Amino acid sequence: MTPTTDLEQRIKELEKANRILQKKLQRSEADRIHLEQNNNKKEYLLKQVIEELKTTQLQLVHNEKMSSLGQLVAGVAHEINNPVNFIHGNIFHAREYIFDLLKLVETYEQTYFDVPQEIKDLSEEIDLEFIHQDLPKVISSMQIGAERIRDIVNSLRNFSRLDEAEVKAVDIHEGIDSTLMILQNRLKAKNEQTQNIEVRKYYGELPKIQCYAGQLNQVFMNIIANAIDALQESENNKKKQENRTPTISIYTSAIADNQVAIKIIDNGSGIPKEIQKNIFNPFFTTKPVGQGIGLGMSISYQIITEMHDGSLTCNSEVGKGTCFTIEIPVKHGCYSS
Amino acid sequence: MFKVAVGHSNDPDSYCAIAEVLEQCRKSLAGEIPNAGILFAAIDFDHHLILQQIDRVFPGIELIGGTTDGEISSVLGFEQDSLALIVFCTKSIKIVAGIGEDVSLNPVAATSRAVKQALGKSDQVAKLCLTIPETFGTSGVSIVNGLKLALGEQIPIFGGLAADQYQFQQTYQFFKTKVLSDSVPVLLFCGELLFSHGVASGWNPIGQKSRVTSVHKNIVYEIDGKPALNFYHRYLGSLAPTGEYPLAVYNNATDQFYMRAPIIHDCSNGSITFAADIPSQAVVQITQASCEDILSASKTSMTSALASYRGVEPRVVLFFSCAGRRQILGTRTREEYQIARSYLKMELPCCGFYAYGEIAPNLGSDWTHFHNETFVTLLLGQR
Repeated sequence: MTPTTDLEQRIKELEKANRILQKKLQRSEADRIHLEQNNNKKEYLLKQVIEELKTTQLQLVHNEKMSSLGQLVAGVAHEINNPVNFIHGNIFHAREYIFDLLKLVETYEQTYFDVPQEIKDLSEEIDLEFIHQDLPKVISSMQIGAERIRDIVNSLRNFSRLDEAEVKAVDIHEGIDSTLMILQNRLKAKNEQTQNIEVRKYYGELPKIQCYAGQLNQVFMNIIANAIDALQESENNKKKQENRTPTISIYTSAIADNQVAIKIIDNGSGIPKEIQKNIFNPFFTTKPVGQGIGLGMSISYQIITEMHDGSLTCNSEVGKGTCFTIEIPVKHGCYSS
Repeated sequence: MFKVAVGHSNDPDSYCAIAEVLEQCRKSLAGEIPNAGILFAAIDFDHHLILQQIDRVFPGIELIGGTTDGEISSVLGFEQDSLALIVFCTKSIKIVAGIGEDVSLNPVAATSRAVKQALGKSDQVAKLCLTIPETFGTSGVSIVNGLKLALGEQIPIFGGLAADQYQFQQTYQFFKTKVLSDSVPVLLFCGELLFSHGVASGWNPIGQKSRVTSVHKNIVYEIDGKPALNFYHRYLGSLAPTGEYPLAVYNNATDQFYMRAPIIHDCSNGSITFAADIPSQAVVQITQASCEDILSASKTSMTSALASYRGVEPRVVLFFSCAGRRQILGTRTREEYQIARSYLKMELPCCGFYAYGEIAPNLGSDWTHFHNETFVTLLLGQR
């Protein structure tokens, strides 16, 4: 091969190599753009998945806390139940004995007029006449107190329903009542400027509902607690001439398609439209930091829609109040846990 | 005599590329003139020029081919944007080509025309059919069914749908000196031929088996009476179905399955469009695979083909792999050929391409299927 031919050959090879490199560069550029687009899509998906995981994780933690709390509540209720029962049981006997003893003292007073001075002095000292009048009242108030404790303990046990982790047919009015019992204290006025919250119940004739009772009670708790918060805020902000009684009205009724509806209505200041649309979103809250992380309503929504195949809606008008409507089937084929 | 030569060039210049390829083939053939060949070309070449040059050097060669999503050969391994030509030089085996146009209008008629034209040149019975048909406007399943009708169901068919480097705009098919679209070229091997094949995807079925309860061709509306999307969401959550999770479609009551890759979905009605038809009431399972699993399929495919070859001396290896596999494997795509090649104990000419769907019988079966995301190995020889 002559040097010229050799040179020409080498130039041809270089030109070929150049063409190949150009083509590969073109392909690399196209692949890079394609990869970037894919990358952006996957990044977006990844962010979505991470958010879902975070929400799920927090819900799991919340559920775990609620479960532990429920167990604590049930445990405490159980521990209190026994002593309360024998207090309640013994008060009856104590009342009987006390009345008998008072009757005996009275009989002695009526039989023996000539009482030694020592006894007269002691009668005055202890104010026996006052004891006659006041002791029955004290016993009654102890009895009422013990009964109240029993009622609260039953409400706590009913509310937590730990022994009923599966679907069971229950009277939901019991669940609502037990929730109200637990929230009883919060219904009272906080100061002289505010009023007690009045609860009005309009219960319809409902069959027993197949549901996860504990979870449903949690929904009632979330909604009623939120209503109480709204009413207390309204009370704090109301003008002097406003004389509206803060009220929570609870309506229950059987509706078409073998379903029941529960409406919880408050006459607070209402929820603005732009907030209403976010109300069931996880972590959405209008409360100050430290007063809730905004999971209550989203969990309630999941409990009603996913676990009970029902619906949970919110209607509100600023200045008038808010209504939460729960609709769930009486019977359900299968639940997703 | 059964001689095979392969030429492969990655020169983007069409004239230089075909010149290089033809030079490689002529050198291998050492003066012999080939009677048939298959051309695999990237979409950007001047295909008319290339076919004219082939016909100039090998006049009257029975040539078919098509555009690709990547090319494979024993000369350069895996390449993109390249040109690969495999030519056959035989005396006892008759290799004849045919073409059927307007396959989208009537696949049965088009495939019948192609087979008739090819068989008209041979007085021997066809033993095997190779084809590189059009992808768009028609169903790969319809083309395969048309070919089976024209050839007889016992004649195995191999090949892949022409591709266009994942642009999904237009593919080309080659028949002698013609560059066509919407056509089905066939190459029939008639006479004493030994062959074997291997088929594997690497994807493994997981989860429960379900039934396709509502489908129209390649659009699945319902699985087990519920929207098809629900079936996928059960496994993938809110992620969209993709080719990374194809369906395994079972053959009647057997354990054998072929793959169907999802392409797009419709959230409004929960339907999923797949890369090929799925029969109504078919039993399906979702599948998953890692890159290692996908690559291991090339080993499975090659070793199956080698194990079932009844002779002692295969002369050539053809590969038909999937553009979907290439997408997922990315830069590791070159390993598919490398792994397959490593199981060949002898130096054999190899050639193949990345297609938009593969055609081959399932293992141990004569019944040709249309596959997605599958690696097909075909060994040919005379002894």
